[in-house]
Amino acid sequence: MTKLNKKHLLVSGLASLLVLSACGGETNEEVDSSAEADTSSDSQVLNVQVDVEVASMDPQIATDGTSFEVIANTIDGLYQVDADGNPIPALAETTDKSEDGLTYTFKIREDAEWTNGEPVTAQDFVYSWRRLANPETGSEYGYIMGIAGLENANEVLAGEKAPEELGVTALDEKTLEVKLANPVPYFESLMSFISFYPLNEEFMNEVGDQYGTSPDTLLANGAFEITSYEPAATTIQLEKNESYYDAESIELEGMKYQVIKDSQQAMLSYQNGDLDLVTLAGEQVDLFKDDPEFVNTQAGYLWYISPNTLVEGLENENLRKALAMSFDKEQIAETVLKDGSSAADYVIPEGLATGPDGKDFRETADTYLAYDPEAATEAFEVAKEETGQDTFTFGLLVEDTESAINVSQVLKSQIEDTLDGVTIEIEQMPKKTRLDRMKQGDYDLGLTRWGPDYADPMTYLDLWVTDGSNNDGSWSNEEYDEIVFSAIDGDLSLDTEARWEALKEAEAIIMDEAGVLPVYQKGNAVMMQDNVSGVDFHAVGLSRVYKNVVKE
Amino acid sequence: MKKYVLKRVLMSVVTLMVIVLVLFTLMQLLPGSPFNDERLSIEQQQVLMTKYGLNDPIPVQFFRYVKNMLTGDFGKSYTISKDTDVSLLLQNRLPISLLLGGISIALGSVVGLFLGIAAALKHNSLLDSAATFLSVVGVSIPSYVFALGLSYYFGFQLGWFPMLYSVSDGLLAFALPAVALSMTVMATVARFTRTEMIEVLSSDYIQLVESKGVSGGHLIFKHALRNASISIITILGPLVVSLMTGSLVVEKIFSIPGIGQLMVQAIQSNDYNVILALAFVYSALYIFVMLGVDIMYGVLDPRIRLAKEDSNG
Repeated sequence: MTKLNKKHLLVSGLASLLVLSACGGETNEEVDSSAEADTSSDSQVLNVQVDVEVASMDPQIATDGTSFEVIANTIDGLYQVDADGNPIPALAETTDKSEDGLTYTFKIREDAEWTNGEPVTAQDFVYSWRRLANPETGSEYGYIMGIAGLENANEVLAGEKAPEELGVTALDEKTLEVKLANPVPYFESLMSFISFYPLNEEFMNEVGDQYGTSPDTLLANGAFEITSYEPAATTIQLEKNESYYDAESIELEGMKYQVIKDSQQAMLSYQNGDLDLVTLAGEQVDLFKDDPEFVNTQAGYLWYISPNTLVEGLENENLRKALAMSFDKEQIAETVLKDGSSAADYVIPEGLATGPDGKDFRETADTYLAYDPEAATEAFEVAKEETGQDTFTFGLLVEDTESAINVSQVLKSQIEDTLDGVTIEIEQMPKKTRLDRMKQGDYDLGLTRWGPDYADPMTYLDLWVTDGSNNDGSWSNEEYDEIVFSAIDGDLSLDTEARWEALKEAEAIIMDEAGVLPVYQKGNAVMMQDNVSGVDFHAVGLSRVYKNVVKE
Repeated sequence: MKKYVLKRVLMSVVTLMVIVLVLFTLMQLLPGSPFNDERLSIEQQQVLMTKYGLNDPIPVQFFRYVKNMLTGDFGKSYTISKDTDVSLLLQNRLPISLLLGGISIALGSVVGLFLGIAAALKHNSLLDSAATFLSVVGVSIPSYVFALGLSYYFGFQLGWFPMLYSVSDGLLAFALPAVALSMTVMATVARFTRTEMIEVLSSDYIQLVESKGVSGGHLIFKHALRNASISIITILGPLVVSLMTGSLVVEKIFSIPGIGQLMVQAIQSNDYNVILALAFVYSALYIFVMLGVDIMYGVLDPRIRLAKEDSNG
């Protein structure tokens, strides 16, 4: 009997547990519903949707747009960009550039301080820059130290010299001296790039590898500070940083990021008024493009086909040209993608870089390899003769995203229609695998993309130099190499105007030989509530800046 | 009984270790590495591989992993949240999935139980048909359809509940996702309860109890339900695990920072340590729940317990 009672107790205990936990859930829900009213959007808090989590709050580790955006809200660098994309001083109060363009001396604002009350010092920059260049940090953007042309940057990156030998020194608490190995025309613009943002060494030593895992392990010197955060958080809250040197001009009281991956849910929340800024995906663009709240922003991303010139057939220039002109880019951009993308008859995207003449690179440069089925067929005939081959079969590597698959299917059918004798076999795979295979040279054609790192054509042109680490297709041209290397640290780097003209020439060379086959320039589309203004959108580096935002 | 439980626990630990080994081996077959990114040169990739010890022989990596794992260190995330301890990611996300799953299971099984009992008592009535209809709907429509519908009507149109997860909403944030997830549980439990109850209610021993004058709640809960519960618990076990470990689509729809979303992201980005840790958690939970179910059998049904005690000496 006692045995039975025990079991009895257990069973009824379990049952009541179930019931209780269910009730518990419900009663708590009721209690909480009263608090709900308070959480509805505050008037001066900007609610932004992003579709991917922040990967890192560490300026020297972060690589993706979302991380960049959130870091830039909380940390200022020496420079920032204005609404037109021109570099303007941020933490740099004054900048002295030596006549030969090799030495920069920055005075850091006296009133710049971290949220723990410590001043922002020159040493903060020295620390973070050495950290960026140190191969042990494993920073994906380490190489940008070499792009910026700092003395010994490439040697430090290669592990041949100690990070202490990098050409950056703190002359005193607020004076930073930077020595370059060669003049870099876009150096100031680079200073607005997140990888060059400072960190406080003392604080970093204190928190160690816990940096950026909670609001307590983050430090701000910028317009906002983080009040709610955890690694891979789906909501991030920021509050205006009252100790920010320019706090007066910041109108927002705070910001709230919400990660929403489902674009339909994001749009419903926007229509609900819970979000102020939401990114549109694929077909939504077409649906909302006439809405007054619709904003189309050009992104600097270029999608192109990389032909592997080591593959039989693709070493032939005429065949590559035939392929390049055989598909209708406009149709791909306007009827397949429908996301604000535009046809690319070039490799340097529109809105990327402004020349010494104050004009966008594209305004004065030519266009190449436009869709032209007749010219394509002609080039194909020549190619057939030159190679002595009538039929060609190429694999086309694409990543398994919806847009890439759609584009590749159109590419296949149009190339095969225009060029009788060419067969395209689409190979779908995850992006990481595609990158792997392309880097190994294990492909024929690859649909790939490149996003710009800084506002200069070189961010694209240096990809395709002979033996370049991103020159997957092994295309090679001596004249092209000469121009690019001279523009980096040779004679051309000293003469900005001649350099600019030479870069146009370099683009002409790679396009004339169809070293890569451009397809389209990515467009971004967002919806922004009409009471919000002052969000700056950029095609390069930091894509969205919120310092001037006003919410009425 | 004690010996039996101990043996089962030990078996579970061994199974887990084998699972980790299999996972570890499978992981080596994944194409690519976490570091093949456009911007990383081959030299840099090598630096990173060395930094995280991925160039060491696989057995060395395996034993190091197991050693660290036993101290609660699941390594660092390579891509999702760079250089963050995976244990920290789990610590933040697992409770959310467990809570959501727990609420859904509790809600679904309680409602399902009552529906099933009601249907069995009023066998072949309108109530019975209604309950059957509900459970067919619940089983056949996937939970994300409920999720979308609920979120559209109760979240967007009526605005009664939050459409998206937010910490500031507390448990209210779980209302819609929990209801959406509990539908399958509710339907399954209702269906099984009904069938089992009808069978039990018409059995000899219930008739005997009834003839002794026992009736009402006492009869149903003490005598009938207890006998019917064996099969209900059998199906509830796997359901508990699948809900506790998060539902990918429902998590995505409501932007819930649970482990379901994390898993998919980890696989897409080759974030080895996150995949391993999550797979380990899934397996551990499954084994643990199954162990619980086995022990519950013994508690509920002396025949099972006695049989096991016999066979286990």
